[in-house]
Amino acid sequence: MKNVTYAVVAWGMAGVIYIATHRTDTQFAMYWAFGLAFGFVLQRARFCFASAFRDLFLLGYGRNMKGVLVGLGVASLGFGLVMSRQVPMAFLGILPPSANVLPLGVHTAVGGLLFGVGMVVAGGCVSGSLYRMGEGYVASWVAFAGLMGGLLASAYTWNWWWDRSISTAPRYWLPSWIGHPGAITLTLAALAAVYVGVLVMEHRAGMVLPRALKKQEPAESVGAEIRSVAKTVFVEGWPIIPAGAVLGGLNVLLFTAQEPWGFTGEVSRWSLAAASLVNLPAPLLQGVADLPGCAFVPSDGLFFNHMIFLVVGMWFGSFAGALGAGEFKVRVPKRPTRYAQSLGGGVLMGYGSGLAMGCTIGAFFSGIPSLALNGWVFAIFLGGGAWIGTQMIRRIQ
Amino acid sequence: MAETLDVRGEICPYPMMRTVTALKKLSSDERALEVVTDHAPALETIPTQAARLGFRTDIEESGGSEWRLVLTRMDSGEGA
Repeated sequence: MKNVTYAVVAWGMAGVIYIATHRTDTQFAMYWAFGLAFGFVLQRARFCFASAFRDLFLLGYGRNMKGVLVGLGVASLGFGLVMSRQVPMAFLGILPPSANVLPLGVHTAVGGLLFGVGMVVAGGCVSGSLYRMGEGYVASWVAFAGLMGGLLASAYTWNWWWDRSISTAPRYWLPSWIGHPGAITLTLAALAAVYVGVLVMEHRAGMVLPRALKKQEPAESVGAEIRSVAKTVFVEGWPIIPAGAVLGGLNVLLFTAQEPWGFTGEVSRWSLAAASLVNLPAPLLQGVADLPGCAFVPSDGLFFNHMIFLVVGMWFGSFAGALGAGEFKVRVPKRPTRYAQSLGGGVLMGYGSGLAMGCTIGAFFSGIPSLALNGWVFAIFLGGGAWIGTQMIRRIQ
Repeated sequence: MAETLDVRGEICPYPMMRTVTALKKLSSDERALEVVTDHAPALETIPTQAARLGFRTDIEESGGSEWRLVLTRMDSGEGA
């Protein structure tokens, strides 16, 4: 069993890094652990936000969207409870300190639209590209390079958007209008309505083959039972609903410990650091220091911070997961068009996530659970962009 | 001998899209298409799309994260 050996070595290395970082800074270790967990679950379930939207338009296939909706439901309930403790008097107009209640304006819509097009054209969003980088997809590395370029372009035009839209954009937090129970109930009801919509789309498109269930045989011993459970977790692909619930739950835990899941702000820090290495002038990023979510993080000259452990952890968690399942393989696209698609899609995602202060994770998967209107507006335009992207990939062979 | 479509290395969702294109191009006397892929998500989307076009899918793992899918035309009346 070569897989098991590789996986044990990889997880062993992850453990050593955890212990080493824990001695330096416990926050580094915590973010590393969260990154590993997110990456592992994304890989095991092939949890893909791009296909959640795209497959509805392309195939009338709702597997991934159902997982996303369940994750949003779990996270909305959890975030809602945490925020009701943080800001008991929601009607006073105070916003929760770390939730992704972001300025809502034209930039949210443009960002969502560009991101939606980009993720479909590139074949994966930012988290999708990260976990596929861990699985050995070369095109996803290209998409990530595009993402860094797009974030840089977004940083250099940030002030234009700041003056015209972001600086005066209001932040809408549902609990301040209808209270905590009302906001949680409304959000869960809206998610349930979308879930029904997904089922309608599936039935209109025709049959959807259920995943073949494996034959269940009673285990003969405790050892056999443990092997069977280990196989379910580490080798067989996870079903999407529990994966969505686990990702939503992990997001609540991270929010409780520190802040919502999100990382394009950190990737922007890498882009800005790379720009300063080649002596490009640092962009003046007005107002970013006071913004939550994944707003730009100016390069600070440091290499390590807690967030780098989250992003690299996601990649490594997926890598270790893929190794254990025997799913790691260097996959090289044969058609040159795919590299252009990945790069271009990545650039669009980078520009869009810069404007929207988050990607499918920060602005969407953490935005809606923040009970913030910006999450829904981003989602609608994300869907619109994904629809446009779907029409584009149908024409690119 | 069935025609073989090699979609290894392709990014999402092209393994499925190129399979559908190939299935639609099959002449009515061709009974089967063989697809070779290394893209695991396609193991769920290809069988569904193939079934919608009237093909049954048999998946065979060839190891090293590669799979061989044999899509066989179903006779009318044969359920998916």
